[in-house]
Amino acid sequence: MAEVKVKPEVPDPLDVENRIIELCHQFPHGITDQVIQNEMPHTDAQQRAVAINRLLSMGQLDLLRSNAGLLYRVKDSQNTSKMKGSDNQEKLVYQIIEDAGNKGIWSRDIRYKSNLPLTEINKILKNLESKKLIKAVKSVAASKKKVYMLYNLQPDRSVTGGAWYSDQDFESEFVEVLNQQCFKFLQSKVELSMEDIETILNTLIYDGKVEMTIIAAKEGTVGSVDGQMKLYRAVNPIIQPTGLVRTPCGLCPVFDDCHEGGEISPSNCIYMTEWLEF
Amino acid sequence: MTQAEIKLCSLLLQEHFGEIVEKIGTYLVRTGGQPLRAIVSDTGTSLDQVKKALCVLIQHNLGTYQIQKRGFVEYSVQCSRVLCILRYPRYIYTAKTLYGDTGELIVEELLLNGKMPMSAVVTKVADRLTETMEDGKTMDYTEVSNTFVRLADTHFVQRCPGVPDASGPSDSAAPPAPTLVIDEKDMYSVPRLNLIGKGKRRRSCDDDDNGEHKAKKQKQDLESQEPPPDDGIYWQVNLDRFHQHFRDQAIVSAVANRMDQTSSEIVRTMLRMSEVTTSSNAAYTQPLSSNEIFRSLPAGYNIGKQVLDQYLTLLADDPLEFIGKSGDSGGGMYVVNLHKALASLATATLESIVQERFGSRCARIFRLLLRKKHLEQKQVEDFAMIPAKEAKDMLYKMLSENFVSLQEIPKTPDHAPSRTFYLYTVNVLASTRMLLHRCYKSVANLIERRQYETRENKRLLEKSQRVEAILASMQATGAEEVQLQEIEEMITAPERQQLESLKHTVNKIDASENQVDETIFLLASYVDSTVVAAVKKP
Repeated sequence: MAEVKVKPEVPDPLDVENRIIELCHQFPHGITDQVIQNEMPHTDAQQRAVAINRLLSMGQLDLLRSNAGLLYRVKDSQNTSKMKGSDNQEKLVYQIIEDAGNKGIWSRDIRYKSNLPLTEINKILKNLESKKLIKAVKSVAASKKKVYMLYNLQPDRSVTGGAWYSDQDFESEFVEVLNQQCFKFLQSKVELSMEDIETILNTLIYDGKVEMTIIAAKEGTVGSVDGQMKLYRAVNPIIQPTGLVRTPCGLCPVFDDCHEGGEISPSNCIYMTEWLEF
Repeated sequence: MTQAEIKLCSLLLQEHFGEIVEKIGTYLVRTGGQPLRAIVSDTGTSLDQVKKALCVLIQHNLGTYQIQKRGFVEYSVQCSRVLCILRYPRYIYTAKTLYGDTGELIVEELLLNGKMPMSAVVTKVADRLTETMEDGKTMDYTEVSNTFVRLADTHFVQRCPGVPDASGPSDSAAPPAPTLVIDEKDMYSVPRLNLIGKGKRRRSCDDDDNGEHKAKKQKQDLESQEPPPDDGIYWQVNLDRFHQHFRDQAIVSAVANRMDQTSSEIVRTMLRMSEVTTSSNAAYTQPLSSNEIFRSLPAGYNIGKQVLDQYLTLLADDPLEFIGKSGDSGGGMYVVNLHKALASLATATLESIVQERFGSRCARIFRLLLRKKHLEQKQVEDFAMIPAKEAKDMLYKMLSENFVSLQEIPKTPDHAPSRTFYLYTVNVLASTRMLLHRCYKSVANLIERRQYETRENKRLLEKSQRVEAILASMQATGAEEVQLQEIEEMITAPERQQLESLKHTVNKIDASENQVDETIFLLASYVDSTVVAAVKKP
């Protein structure tokens, strides 16, 4: 019997890489080293390491740590094309910004995390911005501060001030409209308690159009917090506009300069003349 | 006495009593109590005139006198009493709504004459009412007397302090001025008078009744020589009672605006029950039990006892806190929080003024500061939901007009501005006083304008008066239609129009004075009740 020698197949490094990428695509959540080993038993640790390193440096694989060990995940092809031109520093900065999620991160914090000098950071940030990978969002808390986050992320409420701000400008018109709408809604005698628009309701209280009472409510009723519920009710003002403001003197801007015999006096008051002609 | 108050007093005195009284009155308001000699020398008027002016002031309850320890008499005028002259139309109108035309005329006569005995009031009012009635009808004295008694029973009119009976030994030196005393229980007791008669019409010439007229006149002369049965008992209007009534009215209408008609009726009943038991500057009424309230409800309102209880609970729980619950006996004891009610009304007045002067956004900030007491700039912006620039602008504007003030809280002992908290706050009492001052000045301005307008058109007014007099006399002597028309045409059409517009102007200013007076009443009541409450606190 002739021995059939099975030539040990020297795996083509490119093959290995492709195989790994295929595996990654199969398991989009990531694969461990173990999985690769199982799939390609003919590769030894060295070859695997080389392939994985190459993939990583090409930016086609993501290296993640999990409690099971190291995970390799295929990177978004879109992303991979983007990062092609960047170098390691940029990738590092990008990683930091990505980690900050939708709260964004301040440039000083990026510096701390990456230990890169300020000039470098600025250059990198400018680069990334021009490549449309990140964007700068002005924080509503301190208007000079800029936080950076990934381009396609929605900024968090705490940064932009929530529903009341749009493009960093206080949406006063929006507030006014909601103000009116809530008032009309309440006027039709519906009692409601909604946490979401509590601040708007408070402004209606300060306008004197609405009053609030706290009643004891059972746990579990809609809107109850700690066994209490806030109820709102539209009310009328308790007096009509008062007498003083029905005369010109009540609203006169030069009231303090007015006295008999002076330049401005009751006898020649132009506001009074106008008012009397009504 | 602020400058504005003194100016207003002098204007009122001049308009109602003339130059001399105005001079003496203003002098006394400004300098407080003064003896007769000082008044004569400081004002430069003759002794005779000063005496007459003082008589007028005392007769109208504007001035008083006091015997000092040294033995001389000091005269003084109270500014607040003089300012009540502004409110005379309101008193008369209230009397009309409560007691009809009779009541209106009684109060009017008393206000115009200061002090009068009851018989004189009744006679005069009956005469006036008879004139307005149809031919042949006259007003009976008894009807007028009844109304007068009702006014006294509800404390709207009261007896003036009188001279005490001479009971001491005759050899003691007579005091320089009598001390007037009045017994508490006598203040509202009407003397038993047998007033029989009817009102008389003032007839300028009536041939038929001429003979009768003369005969009646003779009889009357005989009668008037006997002193009237109630000589020495003079009556005056009780202004405090009217003020109490206005205050109750304001509270009831506030409840009606905030809740509904029935609750305002309940509050009105409670206030009516406490009318005579609570003093005018108490902070709370006496506690009233729910059963009592139920029994005293007006006849038209037949709401069940349970419904009443529900309403009372609702009123007691309301954030306005006009009604409070003070106990559970008798179905629940309830009080009306007078001081709190006045405070709410004064605050509402302040808010209304801020709203009209600066806009509704400023009003929002103002109310916010009233609620939260002390706030930083940033917090104001957050709570009121107003952009920073606008909020800052509004706060500074209100600060410059003294509606809000700044409270500094330093973080470091050196009070460095960068390390200090600046909190905005509203001081209600100070703002109220400031606005009260403004109100007084406004009323003074309005009166001056009215006088100016009248002066400008004096010539025209005199002409129209002459024409009217001529017309009246010609009508009396039976002139022809053509002649009357000729006289009427003496006033041309544009002049007539000018007169119309003058009338319109004067009416408008008058009405406006009354409206500002309403504001003055609310603010002044609040200041008075706060001051009293502060004094009472140990």
